[in-house]
Amino acid sequence: MPKHELILLKNMMQPGYTGSLSDYEKTGGYQALRKTLGKIAPADVTAMVRKSGLRGRGGAGFPTGVKWGFLPKDYQGPRYLCCNADESEPGTFKDRQLMERDPHQVLEGIVLSCYAIGAETAFIYIRGEMVLGSKILEHAIAEARAAGYIGKNILGTGIHADVWVHRGAGAYICGEETALLESLEGKRGLPRIKPPFPATHGLYNKPTVVNNVETLANLPHIMSRGPEWFAAIGSPPKSTGTRVFCVSGHVKRPGNYEVPMGVTVRELVYEHAGGMRSDQPIKAFIPGGASAPFLTPAHLDVKLDFEHVAAAGSMLGSGGVTVMEEGTSMVWAALRLMEFFYHESCGKCSPCREGSSWLVQTLRRILAKRGRMEDLETLLDLCKNIAGRTVCAFGDAEVAPIQSTLKYWRQEYVDLINEAEAANLIKLEPVGKG
Amino acid sequence: MTFSEKYKDEITDILSRYPVKRSALIPLLYVAQRDQGYVTESAMQEIAQLLRLTPPQVYETITFYTMFNLKPTGRFHLQVCKSLMCALVGSDTLFGWIHAKLGIGPGETTADGLFSLSAVECLAACGTGPMMQVNDDYYEQLTEDKLDRIVSDLRSTGTSPLKSGPFMWPEAVESADRPSS
Amino acid sequence: MTTPTAPIVRLTIDGMTVKVPKGTLVIEAARRVGVMIPHFCYHPKLKPDANCRMCLVEIEKMPKLQTACSTPADEGMSVRTATTVVNDAHRSVLEFILANHPLDCPVCDQGGKCDLQDFSHQYTAASRFVETKRIFQKEYFSPLIETQMNRCVQCLRCVRYCDEVMDVKALAPVGRGTMTEIKHFGPHPLNCEFCGGCVQICPVGAITSRLSMYEYRPWMLKRADTICGYCGDGCQMTVQTKDQELIEVNSAHGAGRNNGDLCARGFFGFHAASHPDRLTHPLIRKNGALVQTTWEEALEYVANRVSELKQLHGGQSFGGLISGRCTNEELYVFQKFMRGAIGTNNIDSSARYGHVNGLHAMRLVQGTHRWTVTFDDVLDADVLVLVGTNITETNPITGLKVKEAVKKRRATLITIESLEPVVDTMSNIANLSDHHFCIPPSEMQNGILGLLKAILEEDLIPPDIPQRYPGYVKAVTTALRAFSWQDLHRSTDIEPDSFRQAAKVLAAGRRVIVLTGQVLLRSERGYAGSLTLLDLLILTGKLDQPGCGFAPLAEENNDQGAVEMGAVAEFLPGACSADNAADRERFMCLWKRDLPLAVGASLVDMLHRAETGSLKAMFMVGENPVASLPAPIRAEDSLQKLDLLVCQELFLTETASLAHVVLPAASSMEKTGTFTNTEGHVQAVRPSIEPIGESRPDWEVFAALSVLFGMPMEYAESKDILKEIRGAISGYTSLGPTPLPPKVDPTAMDRYLNEGYQPDLTTRYRLIAPKSRPDGTLQIGFGQSLFHSGKLSIRSKGLLQLEGTGRLRINPVDAARFALMDGDRVRLYSTSGEMTTEIKVMERVPQGTAWFPDHFGQTAVGLFECAIDPITRVPSFRTATVSIMKVA
Ligand SMILES: Cc1cc2nc3c(=O)[nH]c(=O)nc-3n(C[C@H](O)[C@H](O)[C@H](O)COP(=O)(O)O)c2cc1C
Ligand code: SF4
Ligand code: FES
Repeated sequence: MPKHELILLKNMMQPGYTGSLSDYEKTGGYQALRKTLGKIAPADVTAMVRKSGLRGRGGAGFPTGVKWGFLPKDYQGPRYLCCNADESEPGTFKDRQLMERDPHQVLEGIVLSCYAIGAETAFIYIRGEMVLGSKILEHAIAEARAAGYIGKNILGTGIHADVWVHRGAGAYICGEETALLESLEGKRGLPRIKPPFPATHGLYNKPTVVNNVETLANLPHIMSRGPEWFAAIGSPPKSTGTRVFCVSGHVKRPGNYEVPMGVTVRELVYEHAGGMRSDQPIKAFIPGGASAPFLTPAHLDVKLDFEHVAAAGSMLGSGGVTVMEEGTSMVWAALRLMEFFYHESCGKCSPCREGSSWLVQTLRRILAKRGRMEDLETLLDLCKNIAGRTVCAFGDAEVAPIQSTLKYWRQEYVDLINEAEAANLIKLEPVGKG
Repeated sequence: MTFSEKYKDEITDILSRYPVKRSALIPLLYVAQRDQGYVTESAMQEIAQLLRLTPPQVYETITFYTMFNLKPTGRFHLQVCKSLMCALVGSDTLFGWIHAKLGIGPGETTADGLFSLSAVECLAACGTGPMMQVNDDYYEQLTEDKLDRIVSDLRSTGTSPLKSGPFMWPEAVESADRPSS
Repeated sequence: MTTPTAPIVRLTIDGMTVKVPKGTLVIEAARRVGVMIPHFCYHPKLKPDANCRMCLVEIEKMPKLQTACSTPADEGMSVRTATTVVNDAHRSVLEFILANHPLDCPVCDQGGKCDLQDFSHQYTAASRFVETKRIFQKEYFSPLIETQMNRCVQCLRCVRYCDEVMDVKALAPVGRGTMTEIKHFGPHPLNCEFCGGCVQICPVGAITSRLSMYEYRPWMLKRADTICGYCGDGCQMTVQTKDQELIEVNSAHGAGRNNGDLCARGFFGFHAASHPDRLTHPLIRKNGALVQTTWEEALEYVANRVSELKQLHGGQSFGGLISGRCTNEELYVFQKFMRGAIGTNNIDSSARYGHVNGLHAMRLVQGTHRWTVTFDDVLDADVLVLVGTNITETNPITGLKVKEAVKKRRATLITIESLEPVVDTMSNIANLSDHHFCIPPSEMQNGILGLLKAILEEDLIPPDIPQRYPGYVKAVTTALRAFSWQDLHRSTDIEPDSFRQAAKVLAAGRRVIVLTGQVLLRSERGYAGSLTLLDLLILTGKLDQPGCGFAPLAEENNDQGAVEMGAVAEFLPGACSADNAADRERFMCLWKRDLPLAVGASLVDMLHRAETGSLKAMFMVGENPVASLPAPIRAEDSLQKLDLLVCQELFLTETASLAHVVLPAASSMEKTGTFTNTEGHVQAVRPSIEPIGESRPDWEVFAALSVLFGMPMEYAESKDILKEIRGAISGYTSLGPTPLPPKVDPTAMDRYLNEGYQPDLTTRYRLIAPKSRPDGTLQIGFGQSLFHSGKLSIRSKGLLQLEGTGRLRINPVDAARFALMDGDRVRLYSTSGEMTTEIKVMERVPQGTAWFPDHFGQTAVGLFECAIDPITRVPSFRTATVSIMKVA
């Protein structure tokens, strides 16, 4: 197994590492903060982050330094940082581990980011189910506050940054940044129309940055080892640094593996995750969480970085790599994900809301051997009519499983329908004529 | 005693974190849910008043989220992940086992009011599936044996050492050090 | 949102060029060139939400289709709304929206006026949906509003309207995804302001009115645009009828001064006109009892009796009282009849109950009898001061203007009112206030004085005012120095600093409007308080500035008209003084009649004269003093002494039952004419049904009587009267979409500032000592509730379902103090009388006070003492100290 240097998971892999403040400090924790606060101008921090090439780990992969640069320069009044710890994308479980096992690494990143963007308040919006994670964070915040890393006048620099943990309450959509803001404001988590973007009109209508946990956890390392160091890792120039890939499904050793961007799924599965569970060949995999289209064994050597995965017709997304072995029903897999999307559609946009219930029902019908050949065209057409026509990217995400499985494994659908037609179980006529 | 009297200090503390009151809504609902196991109508009304919202505004928010109960549930709420990743590693059998052991399916509660079962979507533990959450705690890499032990632990002590964590706290000092909920 | 100064941008819509202010939404820009982009969730009153996705259009240089409802127009934009791609997108969104729709059009009241139906037709939509449709359990929603959530397209227009426009927030989208349904709170039926806005704004049939369920299809209905008769706001509404039946009322977006918004009274209160108790025939007293008769007999009887009595006792023995609900034409003819045919100035109208206080103050200080501002100025104001007006209940639509100014246009709101800022599902203007002073009704004046004192002591008076009017400023200064901040604090319990802060905001405002209403205008200090508010505007240098002004709110729909038409003792038409020789001369020429010289008696004085025997006969048009005046006035005894009492009425009221002749009057649903709203805007009233039974418009009665007297005032129709009014009142504006407010008359203002203030300034500026509140007592006030406004509303089946009886509104702490629960029956005792009622616990009622809705006031009125303003003769009976006891 090629050995890559671990960055984010390094501390927690050491035996006996608890993630407490003293453990973290022993490994050099909060040195970046000491080095940066009051010593490097905030604008320069932003410039360094831009230079590092760090891109968002939450899903969209937007360059972090560039995002920070969108905040209005001369705005008086408060600004906010929101750490997106809502991690709900099926197949993704890295943020949870980062928070539970090494919370101070995340907190240090948060304070650095607050400093760079001039925010004095940060909220960690953590998904409600992660009770343990929220307690750990709260405990860590208390430790850091007591040690002067968080709160008023950090390390005597005159810089303030308060950090609060805010628990969500069970809604995937609240991971979408504007829904997150709505939810943090105590409302239903419905995505907002953009523009305006959070950079100018965010939390309480104030300039706001939303960054993923993993994105923020990279910051202490970038600040202490320099942007050039970071920019050299992975697949420069566009996909720099490592990625914590969450490997799940039919592999021997599922789990989080931190590797430089640009490794292949083959490497990830066979060299890190121990290969396939029953030594069956891989039938399909998802490279970036439930919202990313399925790929096939033909894509096993695609480099896992933003560009290459996109070029292969999927997306790197949140880094959730789910692997399925030969024998897995792709219609069933698509349905499982579709059920998730149906359950989680916030209901704001008609195409997403109505489309998800329609798609899920049709898939269930096909799987229950009550499908018809026309259903396949309808499915594709509905997908086309949802994607790109909604307020947020959920609409694009929810059609990915169906579109991609129909693209690569259409025959499985056809077989199920043929069985249905053979059994002549049901004949459905459309209502009205087109 | 009313809800706001009973949790006066905690409420003040929560309100102090947010520049805009309404942000305290979800945190306060959690307090209310902890108190009664579900959010009662009178708690909703009190919270509305505290935050200068109308009760419908509180209600619309509650119903958007899956974690708030508006009715009592069993003492142990088993929430088994049914999303694809857990399903790939056998979460469906988990439902079978639970049905066999406790006689309940998703949405049902045992007659003694101890256990309720829900099928939930991905809980960010796909690498350690199949898994379930019971009240606040995660239980991962479940097997039939583990499930047996968890159920009997819950019955006898109200918790089970098989749960995930704690990570930051050495086991020994857990109870002293760990912030209580 | 566009601002008045937004630059103009040029864009093309389907190739057509259009210029709009930057920020205008594409959907609006398209509308300007006649391109209608289909939409559900968009509504010009609401912030864009872009949830239905129906309005997708192609915009050059943008990769994806954009929602026209949320995209602001920009320079050089090129929008296409009719390409195949766009068309397909519309069709597909429609297919989604229809997927879960029950397609139950045959039993849907929206049928024929449904956006979903229309678009489906337009796109010849077909559905490929063969799955199971979502079904919501039917739940009881509310007494007047029906929901059928299976039809809902989840555009949230109802919820957004309820929040953004009404500030009520009673509707909740409950659940998530497809299973989101609109509900109230938990399992409870809707409890709200019932403005009907959700019914009006729903693009489909998901929310409809229960008052007209299953009764019609839109094309069966006849429509009449008219003006609501329930309050001084003067909302335009469309009354829809089937034959003689009143089916529904609504108001189109953009219509009238209300811009299509209505309140519960307007939207659900329309059935009063067709109440079975309506008088349908003339009645005449025979052997002590009222019996049915013919118009001929009744009129002849009246004419004969009038002649006899006039011969015996002279014109001064007559009096007339008319309701401010009548049309201008009726008011005019009435006073012309009383003055010209009978020969007396003993005339009064319901404007006497309070409205004249504000008008007299305006006349004295600024020489106008109308507002110098309009609703549009209220919208544009940057500081609004509301004194003694629970505006959202009494004048809900003016209240909406205030809400819009505050919520959308960021005006600062200062309120002096006996209300606690408590959020519940009825709007409460105190919630929006930036500087709220909660003061009991009888002491409201102290709040105004607090502001004045702060203005003085913070040096906020512009220097030219003391230079030009040293005497006035000195008098004010002395008066305000006569009490200390401690005194003020003692009597209001308000920190001086609160007054200072509000005063600074007020003085810094560029467009400042002071609105006042019943609580002040009908109080003992109604006139004095109005003057003091005008002082406030003068001392801050605002009064004569554009966009600034004093705006007393009219209670009845045509109180303003009543004064302008001369239906009060002291004024000839045009609010000319009845004792002004030149004006008298003018009207004598015009009417070709002698006019009486003697000063007219006002309402209370007439009753007093009746009691003492010098007044022998009265015409009573739509007024019911027996029920509306407090016991000490002894209206019933007085009226019983009359030799002739003629009542023109819709119903057999307490007063009408005493009459010798009762003539059935047509309601405003049945006649033509004009009303003048609180802003002084004259608007057309149009009939929607034929007069009920043999009822006739009031003007016809006086015209007919005048003929019988041989002093004919002949008009073929109400329009002829309007023509005469226009000739009689100089500058009487034509009917137009917006009022033209007068300007402050500088000579009048000069006169006031030099000498006009002198007689009463020191008395006006005296602090009112707080009423002592003996243990076990409450200060109760009499006031208007949102759901009622008098005898019509209490005969409207819709409004009765919302509020069927009067209940004493009381603070929970007081309720607990008297060991009372919501709904308990209590007995109230004051020095004047007693009554039994139920209580309604409301947090917004300040501790130690309570109030009772005056439209159920017949018994409550007995509790109140009455004070008469020495100058304006306004009887005030609005507060009393009562003790309270629970009864079984
Ligand atoms: C439907 C949806 C769900 C999302 N869920 C998450 C999430 O759980 N966690 C996360 O960090 N980002 C999530 N995102 C991405 C966020 O909107 C946002 O891009 C991200 O938090 C920005 O942080 P980054 O730039 O550091 O990645 C989601 C986006 C969408 C459209
Ligand atoms: S796309 Fe779906 S999840 Fe996103 S805003 Fe629209 S309805 Fe909500
Ligand atoms: S009208 Fe534009 S999205 Fe609904």
